[in-house]
Amino acid sequence: MKDLTSNEVRTQALALGLEILEEDLAEVAFRLNALSETLAALEHPDLDTVEYRAVFDTPEY
Amino acid sequence: MSDTELARKSLTELSALLRAKALSSVELVEIFLKRIQKIDPSLHSYITVCADEALRSARQADEARTSGAPNGLLHGIPVAIKDQMHMQGVRTTAGSFLDSFPSEDSTVVARLKSAGAIILGKLNLSEFAFGGNIGHPFGTPRNPWDTNHQPGHSSSGSGIAVAASLCTAAIGEDTGGSIRIPAAWCGITGLRPTWGRVSRYGIQPISWSMDQAGPMARSVEDCAQVFQAISGHDLKDPSTSHYPVLPFTPKPDLRGIRIGIIKESLDNDLVHSEVRAAVEKAANVMEEIGATVSDISLPILEKAGVVSAAITDADGAFVHRHWLRNRSSEYDSVTRRRLLAGSLMPSQLLQKAQRFRVLIRRQIILAFQNVDILLSPTQPTAAAKLETTSGLDSKDAVLQKFAGPRGATAPFNLSAVPAISIPCGFTSAGLPIGLQLASRPFDELTLFQTGHSYQQHTSWHNRHPSL
Repeated sequence: MKDLTSNEVRTQALALGLEILEEDLAEVAFRLNALSETLAALEHPDLDTVEYRAVFDTPEY
Repeated sequence: MSDTELARKSLTELSALLRAKALSSVELVEIFLKRIQKIDPSLHSYITVCADEALRSARQADEARTSGAPNGLLHGIPVAIKDQMHMQGVRTTAGSFLDSFPSEDSTVVARLKSAGAIILGKLNLSEFAFGGNIGHPFGTPRNPWDTNHQPGHSSSGSGIAVAASLCTAAIGEDTGGSIRIPAAWCGITGLRPTWGRVSRYGIQPISWSMDQAGPMARSVEDCAQVFQAISGHDLKDPSTSHYPVLPFTPKPDLRGIRIGIIKESLDNDLVHSEVRAAVEKAANVMEEIGATVSDISLPILEKAGVVSAAITDADGAFVHRHWLRNRSSEYDSVTRRRLLAGSLMPSQLLQKAQRFRVLIRRQIILAFQNVDILLSPTQPTAAAKLETTSGLDSKDAVLQKFAGPRGATAPFNLSAVPAISIPCGFTSAGLPIGLQLASRPFDELTLFQTGHSYQQHTSWHNRHPSL
């Protein structure tokens, strides 16, 4: 997965109406690229069949 | 008995002294207020001290006791709450630029008051309970065992105030480890209950599906008593469960309890050798008092740090979306950068994180077919030194962060099962080490019984920082 450049991160933020200060830009990009890279690499045989649940309010045993 | 000895007494011991009229609530509150005034300026555990209101409530508690009105264990006991929870007429800051005076109590506060507890004040925390901020508008919270070290976040003030005997018990909130990490690093006991056990009404949110308030105290027994008071279904929070909250009943030993040591939590380069040794010794003690102890492998838990970061930061970014646009400069830079990155998370990856959350839960629930308790270090190291920068100057530094503190505690937030941190030793530098125990959903009782039995055979929880 290709890292986003600082400029690409800034543009994405602007699309959401968020401005990123120059002093914040590098760390925001590090954080976003690290999260994206790690999540993209996650694999599991049941990933396509498991259904996501936001909460677990009853025990399944 | 000296004031310090009284301040260090457990909730159960103080309750007995109050019932025997060997001590009044007013005397007790005055002792704590004096200690806060003397000790807290170097620790920064309190944001707001409610001295007048606490003394007024103490007088009422004493009068009720004199008149013979029925009262429970918390009646007349001084406690404090993380300043993430609303208390009528008292400023809520969430450790941030927030400056609100709620017209109503959060359910946690209302239940504490209803149990007769006296609220001494509101405790310091990481900005908006996220953790990692460098600037602290209400003073940098410091570890009472060594003030050059962190107390752990985000319920920093709760950990400090209990460890330093500036209250008898406190309430924290735990989204990814925020009760258990300060409990471990401050040498106290802290429970993150099953999600849905404690009402979130009136609590500043972070990530709605993982936020959960819980008790922090010096012993498991005290935590159990506070948990009993604050938990249970609440009409104001429809997500709270109707599952019955069982009263705490101690077990003399651990016969019949099966404990699984999570292999990956110890066979891990991040774990300090002194932490590993203390946790292994604690497992041996549990075996000696009757538990069956075995190793268990849960490899998927290694993914918990990043999965938790993705969900929490995206949820948090949504909660803060308006302030990020209008009050961005008022955040600490670490919080702001974290929320901005969370705002930009690709939806496909967030979906993946949510699916992994279910897979993590599935592996943990399956493990509970063979064991009653999962055991691991609460944190791979003792308290870290205070930080002056975020240290996130590269992508690798961020990746390291996912595997660190949050990776040890987040599996149980993601899985919505209860977990407790209890003291199990000290490093050669004199810093506390925490042991984490997790159990089946809604089975806090087994956690309390196991932790309490361990504390009857060890004395780590009876040590106090010299202040």
